[in-house]
Amino acid sequence: MANKRSAFLLIWVITAVGCLYGFLKYASPKIFQILMAKDHPMPTPSTLMMWYMIMGVLAGLVYATTSNQKFVDFLSFLLPGHGPLIKSFLQKILFIGFPLLVGWFVYTWAIPGAASPVELRIQHPTLPQDFEKLENPFRQADAETQRKCIEEGKILFQTYCRPCHGSKADGNGPFANSFRLRPINFQDPGTIATVVDNYLFWRIKEGGPGLPSESTPWDSAMPSWKDDLKDDEVWKIIMGEYDTAGVMPRQREKLE
Amino acid sequence: MNNLKIVQQFTKKSVFLVLLLFFSLSSFLSVTPRLFAADVSGEQTKASEGAASGVELPQFEAGQQPAAPQLAEGQPAAGAGTATAAIEEEELAPVQYRTFFGMDSRTVVWIVSELHLMFAAFVLGVPIFAVIVEIVGFKGGDVKYDKMAKEFTKLLSAAFATTASLGGLLGFCLFGLYPEFMGHMTNVFSPTMYVYALMFFGEAFTLYGYYYSWDILKGTAAKKWFHIFLGVMLNLFGTGLMFLTNSWATYMMSPAGIVPATGKLVSLYHAIYNPLWMPVNIHRLIANVCFGGFVVGAYAAVKFLGAKSDEERAHYDWMGYVGNFIGVGALIPLPFAGYWLGREVYSSSPVMGNIMMGGAFSWTFIIQAILIGMLFIGANYYLWLGMGRIKGSERYTKFFKYLIFIIFMCFAVWLTPHNLPLSGEERAMIGEQYHPFSKYFGVMAAKNAVVNLIILATFFSFLIYRRSNKGEMAPFSEQGKVGKIGIFSGLIFCLLMLVSYAISLNFVELEENIKVFVKPLVRSLYIQSFAVCLAAFLTFKNKGKLGQALLFAVTASIAVLYFWYYGFQVMQKANLVLRYLSVTQVSIVMSCLIMNAIIDIFMFRKAKLVGGIVWGKMPVRSQYALLLLCVVIVILMGLMGFIRSGLRMDWHIYGVLQDTSQWAYTPALSYMGRIVGLIVVLFLGLVAFVFWLANLGETKEKGVLKEEFELTEPHREHYT
Repeated sequence: MANKRSAFLLIWVITAVGCLYGFLKYASPKIFQILMAKDHPMPTPSTLMMWYMIMGVLAGLVYATTSNQKFVDFLSFLLPGHGPLIKSFLQKILFIGFPLLVGWFVYTWAIPGAASPVELRIQHPTLPQDFEKLENPFRQADAETQRKCIEEGKILFQTYCRPCHGSKADGNGPFANSFRLRPINFQDPGTIATVVDNYLFWRIKEGGPGLPSESTPWDSAMPSWKDDLKDDEVWKIIMGEYDTAGVMPRQREKLE
Repeated sequence: MNNLKIVQQFTKKSVFLVLLLFFSLSSFLSVTPRLFAADVSGEQTKASEGAASGVELPQFEAGQQPAAPQLAEGQPAAGAGTATAAIEEEELAPVQYRTFFGMDSRTVVWIVSELHLMFAAFVLGVPIFAVIVEIVGFKGGDVKYDKMAKEFTKLLSAAFATTASLGGLLGFCLFGLYPEFMGHMTNVFSPTMYVYALMFFGEAFTLYGYYYSWDILKGTAAKKWFHIFLGVMLNLFGTGLMFLTNSWATYMMSPAGIVPATGKLVSLYHAIYNPLWMPVNIHRLIANVCFGGFVVGAYAAVKFLGAKSDEERAHYDWMGYVGNFIGVGALIPLPFAGYWLGREVYSSSPVMGNIMMGGAFSWTFIIQAILIGMLFIGANYYLWLGMGRIKGSERYTKFFKYLIFIIFMCFAVWLTPHNLPLSGEERAMIGEQYHPFSKYFGVMAAKNAVVNLIILATFFSFLIYRRSNKGEMAPFSEQGKVGKIGIFSGLIFCLLMLVSYAISLNFVELEENIKVFVKPLVRSLYIQSFAVCLAAFLTFKNKGKLGQALLFAVTASIAVLYFWYYGFQVMQKANLVLRYLSVTQVSIVMSCLIMNAIIDIFMFRKAKLVGGIVWGKMPVRSQYALLLLCVVIVILMGLMGFIRSGLRMDWHIYGVLQDTSQWAYTPALSYMGRIVGLIVVLFLGLVAFVFWLANLGETKEKGVLKEEFELTEPHREHYT
């Protein structure tokens, strides 16, 4: 005979899934707003919401079926029988609420509306082979020369890149808000710190128009600078950019 | 003559037929260089003949497009002036590509090679644990293990012929459809191809010798050891074969031992031992065992579901448990081997590395994360359900909810991509490139941390499973010398691993501003060493459980929480340290697994049994979990095969020989999904057919099962 608590296993699982939904939908945007000192909430993207909810439901079902007894307890809640008044009340709620919930989902998915499509973004476009073997000529120079290059690069960065990428290379330039996809925050360790500096050389030289045909359509407003900047200037900008952002380029590793 | 004998004879004949075909192919290979020499220019042929130190290959330059695009079969080269010249040109024109009855050659090779690889993985993985199971049975005196090892081998012998047939078909497809590419490969690797053929002989002879001599080599210890020796030789030949073919496949990704500009072979050794060879060898070796374990688990599940008697159910329940145990056992180190391979891919080519993790193939890694998560969840679920057949397991079921919470939380982090699919509205509302979830969960620092936690949680599931029917422990002092030596050996091993690596980190050659990031790793290794010592000390003081808990806590704090945070720091400031960080992380987790397993074994060695294990008392859904594990690992292998091969993009041999065929593009994800799906269905269909063939004569042997279970009932502890 199942005890009182296990007799309500189905309700516990539903409650846990509901709490997860509440956390993702309402609590998490507020929490991130506070933690990241934003002036607006940070809503959980719909794709993540869907994935996390599927996992929440799956976790509940896995838990409810880890033993035959639990499985019986889980399902037997739906069966008519003797029990406390609250059970009967919750059963009715469930039998009315579940179809309504499904109906609501179907309605919200099926109702005509306008929304921009969800895009499957690729972080790093494929670097062409021609650029793979390039080396920054100033990286091997003596410390004094490197320092000089970085300073020159910072000036060039502020001249050419600041309007979009910001004076601190944090993606908050004066033009940043005019783009649908804001310029990247280079201070984020998941951006330029994860690529070798010839990758940046390619992106600056070729810009958005030079992106490869794979994984199109791309969403990049980066101009091509190959007609405006010399190679040396681009290398210096890269050095200045890393220094401004306070991160290091990914370095080539020796094979073991 | 019963059906089994007919099938066995048919299998033997088919293997010899395949061998015959293979040697015909080998003879063809020996002629091939001359054929290809006629295809390339006369000067190159002369140079090729005259080259004493190496083989001159057709001219290819890195990054350079070949002058002529694709020359299809019979198509004359451009510029032929007269009709006669055109005919001559046509006769002499090198054929780069052919088509397979008008079909897409690449897809044909893709399907055939993947099917061959899957069967090969089974054929190479299963003998490893068949021999181990046989040894366990022999040493423990339990006939059931011996029978199971034989049953594994029966499946093996049936699958072997199919593997060989698919290998032959793959060879013909490659030589027929990609003659120029295979000309290059033959020029570089022809000596290894003869070795391959010899080793194939070795494998065929030892496999059939191993299987057919099973009953003959019984009775005395000497005979049994000779039989085990045959099994070991089978494994050595199989592993050698895999290593050889791996050298060909990895050479295509990271060519070495040649002059890149000319393609001239300068060192066969380096062509074989190219940068990715050993990482792929290790990764495939472990993955094959994992694959074999889960396929055997699915076989047992099917037999369990169709079982007519309790004895059959008990036997196949036990077999499914062993299959799952082996699969999970190999799955645990697999992420470490995979990470090493990934790093070496990045080291050999930053372009390939970027394509793999952040570029065109990044979404395939999200699919991979889902599949790996399903493997861990499925394996744990099966274990938890399995505890239902063990009396005494009720004491541990309270841990399930915590384990589920941890594993699913980790799974959520594991599959969160760095770049989320966002609509324009969402992007505007978030206001920046990355949502915090993707920013903090989407990078490798987070993923490494959670995968280590999943591994620790899975290991914990195993611990509570094996403790389920054990009650009061005997004091450690009663364990005698064996217990002390065991714990001490484990301690020494872990300390050697941790301290030697900590010392070696002090001598890594890095710039001073980067080297400071190594110091926390050294400190972490020393803290873990102390925790391992403390756990051993507490075990000696009869407080082994406390020692284990302490070790778990320290490991999780360092390898999961601290390295999650520290990984971000290192990513930002000193990415060269990431390599050392990941090894430190692995060493710390491995030391916890090893030490805690050893403590558990000796702590519960003489523990009282609370109850027995009722084999066969498993809910049906547990068997579907085993089937799911098999399907998932097959999909995973298909997917990873696509990634490994696809990373070369439009190169046959990366940076050396470009693919100029019309199929030299990276397939879209949907196309990849369809082809991998087709491969999975074909493999599962074929494997089901082959297993059905192998079991045609089974009815006669069924009566044996009851006898085995009755005979071995006193050795109940052997099942655990």
